[in-house]
Amino acid sequence: MAAPEAKVAPSIPPSLSLPPSQFARLQPHAYLLAHLSPPPASNQPSIRANGRAPSQFRVTSANAGSLTHTNGSAVVRIGDTAAVCGVRAELLHTEDIASWSVSQASGSHKRRRLADLGKKSAEEDEEDEEDDEEDRAHIEDLNLLVPNLSLSTGCAPGFIPGAPPSALAQSLSHQILSLLHSTRLVRADDLRIWYQPPNLGPEEPERHNEDEQMDMDAEHSPTSESKPREIKAFWVLYIDVMIISLAGNPFDAAWAAVLAALRDTKLPKAWWDVDNETILCSDNISDARKLCLRGLPVASSFGVFEADAAAGWRPNVIPDAEEQKAQDQKRKKGSQQSWILADPDGYEEGLSQERACIVVDKEQGGKGKTVIMKMEKHGGWTVDTEELRQLVDISARRWDEMKRMLDQC
Amino acid sequence: MMADRRRINGPPGGTRPAVFASNSQSGTGATTRAQRQRQPSELRKIFLKTGLIPTASGSSYLEFEPSASLAAARANPKSLIPPSSALKLACTVHGPKPLPRSAAFSPNLVLTTHVKYAPFAARRRKGHIRDSSERDLGVHLETALRGAIIAERWPKSGLDITITILEAEDDRWWGDAPDSHDASWGMMNVLAGCITAASAAIADAHIDCLDLVAGGVAALVSDESAGSSAAPKLMLDTDPAEHRSILSACVVGYMPARDEITELWLKGDSSKASLEDGDKRTGHEALIDGAVDAARGAHTVLAEAVRESLLSAVGQL
Repeated sequence: MAAPEAKVAPSIPPSLSLPPSQFARLQPHAYLLAHLSPPPASNQPSIRANGRAPSQFRVTSANAGSLTHTNGSAVVRIGDTAAVCGVRAELLHTEDIASWSVSQASGSHKRRRLADLGKKSAEEDEEDEEDDEEDRAHIEDLNLLVPNLSLSTGCAPGFIPGAPPSALAQSLSHQILSLLHSTRLVRADDLRIWYQPPNLGPEEPERHNEDEQMDMDAEHSPTSESKPREIKAFWVLYIDVMIISLAGNPFDAAWAAVLAALRDTKLPKAWWDVDNETILCSDNISDARKLCLRGLPVASSFGVFEADAAAGWRPNVIPDAEEQKAQDQKRKKGSQQSWILADPDGYEEGLSQERACIVVDKEQGGKGKTVIMKMEKHGGWTVDTEELRQLVDISARRWDEMKRMLDQC
Repeated sequence: MMADRRRINGPPGGTRPAVFASNSQSGTGATTRAQRQRQPSELRKIFLKTGLIPTASGSSYLEFEPSASLAAARANPKSLIPPSSALKLACTVHGPKPLPRSAAFSPNLVLTTHVKYAPFAARRRKGHIRDSSERDLGVHLETALRGAIIAERWPKSGLDITITILEAEDDRWWGDAPDSHDASWGMMNVLAGCITAASAAIADAHIDCLDLVAGGVAALVSDESAGSSAAPKLMLDTDPAEHRSILSACVVGYMPARDEITELWLKGDSSKASLEDGDKRTGHEALIDGAVDAARGAHTVLAEAVRESLLSAVGQL
């Protein structure tokens, strides 16, 4: 091995300039800036160091349903970032919920509405305001969705495996949870397991000590002799995301994986077995049903790269802020000072202070208007209203892309 | 128990896994035990690819071929209960890197191994915190690799090997009640996969080794029902879901170039093995030889995967 190398080495003169990869490590900011603002003489387009245009996302691929022991699973790769998501459904019996009987008894009207809702839910597709409130109450108060994201998979150096989740992992788990709640992606009705008690005649042996309920029953169904349906259990979805490889923008990858896995999720048919006093499920796949998700919220993240990162902070120190601001404006017109980079990779993330994340959905499966589900921006003031508007447009285009990809997987 | 405040916990009362109704009448065929379709000495195919995780110094992804029953269930799904499962794991290597200042001086490379099941890897949901079996796997893996790495070459350095198991092997067929022959047989297959994948990842990180360590499993199984007195047979690369009872199993970490075993783990009673006539070996010798044969098979895949990654690295230069 060593001999041929020694022979070759003298023929190449030691060069004084650094190869690009070393320059990128030593002077990351200057390196990216040189790519984004090439000298006007060179006639080169402004392009990122990774060869993408500023608003271009990385190549994304998804694959669903490959894990055996899950109700739904997906692998999403965005460039070099890979996320695996597995959804496992377990049962939460209402008798295990400490406050269940109390909260049910306290508002009998609520209970009746619930019973009504259960009856008509089969045929109705349009959601109305009332189920939304019910959905929120059940999913959020009972913690029916349990997303957890793990970065301690050796996905990047710096995350110690075996250590408790890092701040980043905790924040990502929480962001996924709050997005699941705020988009109301999962319908609580898909997670409820109902039981219709059989009519055992006028004496109603099980119920004789619950006067209130009997009153309610009477009022609720004066003619039909059937008792109201009751919820016996809920499905709890454990949504676990393992980031296998981390090269920037973990949130988009994790959310896409969660979305694809939930679209793949099948819940078995479950019923209350009176004899065993437990919930039984059918393993027949034709009885199982898929979750009926509300829309398809797609997340797009952006990072802002500034030519002079400290420029924006100086006016705070200098007393004459107005004057400085005017100068700033002038300079802004002359040459571009900041770039908004879509889907930043690990290298770019390290260089950008300001981040933006926009989650959009389109009504009627892409034909309707674009709806913003979440908009988050922090770390600076480069992105203003005008630019946010552009970002929403970019996110809407990204939505089309993701929708096509998720429909295929 | 204190709730884990750094994770999102489910309902405070806990949840129960789904219980499937007696499925004899559902007609989904889930109640028939998966049968081994391979010859006793035939191994499952292994998919092994290196360099999938660019942020790590070395990485690999390993997948076992699904058994015939699982492949059939995937192609034509009838039941929600999978008949068996196939190992899937990702391995990353970070290092060699300088040890932290606080660490004691070490003239050798300090190897740290870490094996973690994903919560959805097994039939039972796994916790987020490593349990004792996962720690045990980590220790076994460390022994297997320590024999191959030339640790003196890297003084004052550390090497972290992390394995995430996305899908584990079953310990027995899901429909069987736990019995006396029960042990965590699936863990042995997982360890064999971990050893092979970790060697590939170490080679991908360009760390000097004596040879590529490959993992192999052999087991003594008796497929007959308890009544008949059929003697247990030796099989290579057993999938525990396909056998009625496994009496004894052995996993080795093996380096073919030096004909050296770096890790040996034998469990169960190997005294009742019925070998071919004229075979003078005792049960455990036959078992170890079988595991070595399985490891040789895995080694060919390993060598091919490493060669592939080297060729692609050369192509990039």
